[in-house]
Amino acid sequence: MRRIRNVGRGFGLVALTALAIGAGMASAEAQTQITMWSNWPDEPAKKDWVSARVQEFEAANPQCQVKLSFIPKADIYTQAKSAVRTGQAPDIFYMEPDQPEFLAGGFLEPLDDYIDVNAIEPWAKPAWTAKGKLHAVPVEAYTLELYYNKDQVKKVGVEVPASFQLTQAQFADLVKKGVAAGITPVSQGVGDRPFPGGQLLFESLLRKLGKDDYGKLLSGELSFKDPRVVEVMTWVKGLVDDGAYPKSFSTLKLGESHFYFYNTPGALTFPDPSWFTGRAFAPPEKGGMPAGFPLGIMQFPAMDNGACPNCKTLAVSGSFVMYSRGKNKDCAGKLLKSMASVENGTKWVSQVSLQSGLKSDPAKIVSPHKAYFEELNARNKDVDYFFGTPLLHYRAKCAETYVQVMNNAFPAGLISVADAADKMDAACLKK
Amino acid sequence: MTDIATVNAKDRGEARASSSTGLADPRRATRLVLSIFLGPGLLVYAGLTAYPAFRTIYDSFFHIEGLEATFVGFANYVELMGDETFWIAVRNTFVWSFIAPILDVATGLLLALALYAGVPFARFLRVAWFTPVLLSYVVVAILWMWIYNYDWGAVNVILRTVGLGDLASSWLGDPNLALGSLIVTHAWKWAGFNMVVCLAAIHSLPREVLEAAELDNCGWGAKLRFVIIPMLRPTLLSLYILSFIGKMKIFDLVWIMTQGGPLWATETVSTYVYKRAFNWNTFDLGYPSAIATVWFLVVCASVLILNRVLASKDRLEY
Repeated sequence: MRRIRNVGRGFGLVALTALAIGAGMASAEAQTQITMWSNWPDEPAKKDWVSARVQEFEAANPQCQVKLSFIPKADIYTQAKSAVRTGQAPDIFYMEPDQPEFLAGGFLEPLDDYIDVNAIEPWAKPAWTAKGKLHAVPVEAYTLELYYNKDQVKKVGVEVPASFQLTQAQFADLVKKGVAAGITPVSQGVGDRPFPGGQLLFESLLRKLGKDDYGKLLSGELSFKDPRVVEVMTWVKGLVDDGAYPKSFSTLKLGESHFYFYNTPGALTFPDPSWFTGRAFAPPEKGGMPAGFPLGIMQFPAMDNGACPNCKTLAVSGSFVMYSRGKNKDCAGKLLKSMASVENGTKWVSQVSLQSGLKSDPAKIVSPHKAYFEELNARNKDVDYFFGTPLLHYRAKCAETYVQVMNNAFPAGLISVADAADKMDAACLKK
Repeated sequence: MTDIATVNAKDRGEARASSSTGLADPRRATRLVLSIFLGPGLLVYAGLTAYPAFRTIYDSFFHIEGLEATFVGFANYVELMGDETFWIAVRNTFVWSFIAPILDVATGLLLALALYAGVPFARFLRVAWFTPVLLSYVVVAILWMWIYNYDWGAVNVILRTVGLGDLASSWLGDPNLALGSLIVTHAWKWAGFNMVVCLAAIHSLPREVLEAAELDNCGWGAKLRFVIIPMLRPTLLSLYILSFIGKMKIFDLVWIMTQGGPLWATETVSTYVYKRAFNWNTFDLGYPSAIATVWFLVVCASVLILNRVLASKDRLEY
């Protein structure tokens, strides 16, 4: 009898185990794993924002599991270029609008049927719209700003006007006074980036030409030999020759140029996209801005007879796209939908201290850098935005020439105005 | 006698029997055995070397956009002939490939001679000089970017310290200096390898010849010029050609330190191929394949010519 009972128990145990294994297998089968590549491995605030969105999504959607990797941007581009061709690309990956080939090649899934497009800022949509469909969730956006050290600028004897915009002559005077005082006027370096060296020149060109003609310049319909362009280039060349940039300009990296501005040796101004905060608001021991640093934001200088002194560049950068040949579009779409919300836009602005292509609720923004935000908003009030930096518009040989000439050689003083204009026209001007 | 003859006949019979299995003499191995031994190696070679090479040549006749390939004949090659940046890259690569190996080999030879002559701390120096060979290009590049830093790099700090501050330069930012700076960095990395090879070659020189030279009151300089270097000629030429081939393909050091800038002053063919393949806002691999194909032929032709010109009498191995 006892043996029969033992046998019965044994059967029961086996049955229970089988049931448990079966249930486990069924749940494993029901769970879908999607892969996601994100940039920002070295920017804690942005990384935390992405991780939090993924965790929230997984908690709300137990049938979807996300394999999230943080990979440097350049590596994502290189790997994605091979992977999309062979069907091996991740379901969701980081992308910026300056890589249009992915959209043109049909590798990005239209997202209109997956996400709430009303949660995206209207100005951010064109960057990712093709054939009337939106192809990315534009998380990160920025404006080009001219940061300055209030104390040092005052110390060299320059008073920033109430408009926070110097004239062409006043800015040239600031450069001269900075050099005379032994303080580098403009902290900037192009050691590891293809764009910073062109910021001062191209923002000045935007203000001189106005949005329409500046757009033509970037689309190759206006020559760099246009008298207005030559006038601005000649002015910038004068600043360069006066010693506006650091001597180590060609090799100074972006992170180093931050440190150069607000730490050692210090500089008067620092032209930078508003993602400046990603590094500047890191703890000082990790290379961030020292506590109490007298940071100010001024407008780029107004050009003499400029068509648009209140113009400014606005751009979309870090975005997330869905692979069009992915096998888990359902889960991937749900994840992007959960990310693209006003609430998450507000969280981005609060946590990262940077603009977003997602709509946000200003009333709910809670940030330890409130004063900074107020100043940034003040500098962006009544501004007429031009969408996209030069590298967002330039392609192939024209982009490479911009990198070599306008980003590097011209601001480094290695090339004359005429030669720079010749090279840009040869590469960019539509015949 | 008979016994010996019988035993030998027996041995020969066994040897014949064993050779009939095809294992004793590889030249008589059956095709099956040969294919078993060669197969894996050939498969790896075909899959990882031959196929990619032929595929690159094949792709160079197409324009590839996304997943569609359009046959364009020689259009990519015609475009290449008029590509100004390509020719700048060719010039830079040739300058680097022909001139830099002289520096590499000369430095290696000098270091080897110093060790051979018994400089103090020779054992330590041999390790120290060889260490850069073991470092990856990434480490070497970062190290030398620090050394060349305008503000606090060792080169400029030394120049300022000895009162030559006017010579302090942006070594990687000046188009006139950038290529030379990279060449020096590359020579520093490989000097140790050349040193080891030269040292081994010097030690294997026939002692009686060197002793005869000494008996004839031949000084160090004369011994070097008339005895050692002529006898090391095949080794030095092999090192030169090895170095030449390596520099014709140089990529990593340039990419990390200058990315071909400033103003294309350090652009090499390899960095240009990479830019065209991955940094050109296009998925087209046809044009980069055409550059790679042309350059493959140029490297092969250059090596053949160098072999002819420099080593007509000596068989080189590399």
